[in-house]
Amino acid sequence: MAAANAHSLSQYAKYHNKVGRSRATSEATWVRYTLIGVALLFLCLFLFIPLAAVFVEAFRKGAETYFASLTEADALSAMKLTLIAAAISVPLNLVFGVSAAWAISKFEFKGKSFLITLIDLPFAISPVIAGLIYVLIFGLQGWFGEWLSDHDFKIVFAVPGIVLATIFVTFPFIARELIPLMQAQGKDEEEAAMVLGASGWQMFWHVTLPNIKWGLLYGVILCNARAMGEFGAVSVVSGHIRGLTNTMPLHVEILYNEYNYAAAFAVASVLALLALVTLALKTYVEWQAARNAEETEREITE
Amino acid sequence: MAKKSSLPGFNLSLGYTIFYLSLIVLIPLSAVFFKTFTLSWDEFVQAVASPRVVASYKLTFGASLIAASINVVFGVLTAWVLTRYEFFGKKIVDAFVDFPFALPTAVAGISLSAIYAKNGWIGSLLDQIGIAVAYTPLGVVVALTFIGLPFVVRTVQPVLEDLGAEVEEAGASLGANRWQVFYKIILPAIWPAVITGFALAFARAVGEYGSVIFIAGNMPMVSEITPLIIITKLEQYDYAGATAVAAVMLVISFILLFAINGFQWWSNRRLGHVK
Amino acid sequence: MSIEIKNINKGFGSFSALNNVSLEVPTGELVALLGPSGCGKTTLLRIIAGLETPDTGSIHFYGKDATERAVREREVGFVFQHYALFRHMTVFENVAFGLRVRPKHTRPNDAEIKRRVHELLNLVQLDWLADRYPPQLSGGQRQRIALARALAVEPKVLLLDEPFGALDAKVRKELRRWLRRLHDELHVTSVFVTHDQEEALEVADTIVVMNQGKIEQIGSPQQVYDNPATPFVYQFLGNVNAFEGRVNAGVAKLGALEVPVKEFAQTHDSAVQAFARPHDIDISRDASAAAFKAQLTYVHSAGSVVRLELKRDDAETFIEAELTREYFSQLNLKEGETVYLTPRNVRFFLD
Repeated sequence: MAAANAHSLSQYAKYHNKVGRSRATSEATWVRYTLIGVALLFLCLFLFIPLAAVFVEAFRKGAETYFASLTEADALSAMKLTLIAAAISVPLNLVFGVSAAWAISKFEFKGKSFLITLIDLPFAISPVIAGLIYVLIFGLQGWFGEWLSDHDFKIVFAVPGIVLATIFVTFPFIARELIPLMQAQGKDEEEAAMVLGASGWQMFWHVTLPNIKWGLLYGVILCNARAMGEFGAVSVVSGHIRGLTNTMPLHVEILYNEYNYAAAFAVASVLALLALVTLALKTYVEWQAARNAEETEREITE
Repeated sequence: MAKKSSLPGFNLSLGYTIFYLSLIVLIPLSAVFFKTFTLSWDEFVQAVASPRVVASYKLTFGASLIAASINVVFGVLTAWVLTRYEFFGKKIVDAFVDFPFALPTAVAGISLSAIYAKNGWIGSLLDQIGIAVAYTPLGVVVALTFIGLPFVVRTVQPVLEDLGAEVEEAGASLGANRWQVFYKIILPAIWPAVITGFALAFARAVGEYGSVIFIAGNMPMVSEITPLIIITKLEQYDYAGATAVAAVMLVISFILLFAINGFQWWSNRRLGHVK
Repeated sequence: MSIEIKNINKGFGSFSALNNVSLEVPTGELVALLGPSGCGKTTLLRIIAGLETPDTGSIHFYGKDATERAVREREVGFVFQHYALFRHMTVFENVAFGLRVRPKHTRPNDAEIKRRVHELLNLVQLDWLADRYPPQLSGGQRQRIALARALAVEPKVLLLDEPFGALDAKVRKELRRWLRRLHDELHVTSVFVTHDQEEALEVADTIVVMNQGKIEQIGSPQQVYDNPATPFVYQFLGNVNAFEGRVNAGVAKLGALEVPVKEFAQTHDSAVQAFARPHDIDISRDASAAAFKAQLTYVHSAGSVVRLELKRDDAETFIEAELTREYFSQLNLKEGETVYLTPRNVRFFLD
């Protein structure tokens, strides 16, 4: 009897959440459809058509050309470099993100909001400037330029520069995802773990990490997408040496400027596919996180 | 520095945070200002206020302003449609709003220029009524609208979702019609989010490079954006000149960033919800 | 009659929220819709307000059909459970809202609005808060501002959805007495929804007890408490002891106890439920055929009455009894003692 009641109640709540709007707070049907139509037209123009264009252009000269442009040596080495840059920058920013979020969300200290603003800095800065600063430091005329050339070590116009620029532009992603999440969670559970005798690491592994895993994954997905797709910053530090310091986006640019459109769009289509995968993963993670939150809420109310 | 806390790891985590932040962001950024100070005042003015550079500021800020405004209108509309109405494919559309965040800017750039070129899908249509988009300042606006699209939607959407049906019902029960409810209750509630989204889209547009250079045509004085000026100067080995322009842009970015954060802090306090 | 509700049905998907509900609210009364969560009371209130449309049935306001009338034309004041104050407006502007959104020809001028708002703020004793914003107010203050805002449009009917639900116990008690006094002053027909029986008993002129989308009983607080019409009302209002048993030819057998019941003289062996309030349980040390043998297991002596928990000898169930302090000390009962219980005023319901 109680169970039946709870069932109908949850059904009721579900219905209410889904429709949620009574006659008093919704628009006439024609207004509704006009608004939906205009919004979809705008999104179509700016989102769906550009996406479709990438694939249409990529296959304009047929599948053979398409696959040939992807398996060509320079394209492959560009892919390799892109993967390397992401493989280095994502874990580094992951460690930073967790550490920053831990300090900011679990402790009170002066200058906290200033620190948060500083972490946001790379988002506010033009990617071109992000590249420029490493040229200023490690370039031939830069602070360490002479020392580096004496020791025959190259950072700018070489792989390390590309990695550095990538780290810079993806710097805030994970921290930014974790800080509000961990702030909202508070520190009750961690304190409970400590009271029960857990060590710092045990508390982190068994309490904190499971609580933030979806947020963490979300940050990693976004960070990775940006790391693989960055153009402006790496363009400045790369030097555009084919087969050596070209990432995929840079390779796209070179092919495009050489009027090799089909090849340019072929490589671009791989990046577009990556973007789609990113969106799918991101949506999946959001969905999971929402489901978890819902479950927790249900546990609390029941 | 920290108040007494029962949890461990404060010194380690804050120490590492500051160390890494300084190493990757703060110290390299300071290089911009150190390098700028090697210029004399006249040289600095020469670098940042020559006609070609000033024309690029006008284009960059003007196009960013227009693009961000377009995004305010369509962003609020999109957020509204996504939170209030049910329609086929809504979940996919919702996920797709973030596409400009996920798509590498270079890909967006070549795709947009292919679409809006005279022989492109949309460009050929516009060409018939005498409008050229690709390789003109209009192209810059299109590219900047694309990359700024998610900002307003994603700042306004949660606020609209949070705005319970109750306040709207309260308005209706007090005799307000639908339009009065919108501009007296809903609009005041979402405008801080709209402003924030606008500022974020604007800030992003000002610094944007990848998606713009393909479609802009990059003609000096006409369709050359400021980030491209920096690159051009760098390629001519005019490091100091490039840095001076970069310093101007950096200062503007800082001001925007602090303004946005300050504004959010103010509106959260004023409207009393903790974010 | 202010409000007449006729044969309302409302469903959400497969869930039936209201099942053929009819109700009349006399002018000037304060009526409570009382029931557990999910019983349909809020849906009924929202239908009266026009925030929800019934699937079938009609609503009349002062004799006129209002079923199709939009919420903004119904002239109702609605106080929301979570107040729904406009957080970007000052308290003054919140209260003034209903006047400001009127069409030009019926809108009072600024001086008049100002006068009316201050009058209402004085009525709710919060005039000094006029320039504050809602987030700066306490829960009780928000509640009173929400009420002032609803009254500003001079509603013909005032509707309140769980008006005290979000407040802590002490503030809640103060506010409901205040609401009762305010109603005595204004006499505006009011309907409020609550799940708190104490609140309904204390404040309302009439209580409408609802369960699973149906009205179980309508009556004054005294009537519904003293003469519950159904087993549900008995159990929902106040504490009660329930006994399961069988009845045959005018005699009910509740465990070891046999009670003659005149009205069931013709009933042939059927299940029966019996109810008795804790203050209707007599306790004695002397054995009697008309009594339950029970063991005193617990004494709660803090409070105006002494509550006893007793375990029945003939079943694995407990009986609750209430005694005055004097009578309890006269009896001088000890925990663990065996006593005999005779329920008075027992009500029987056939299953």
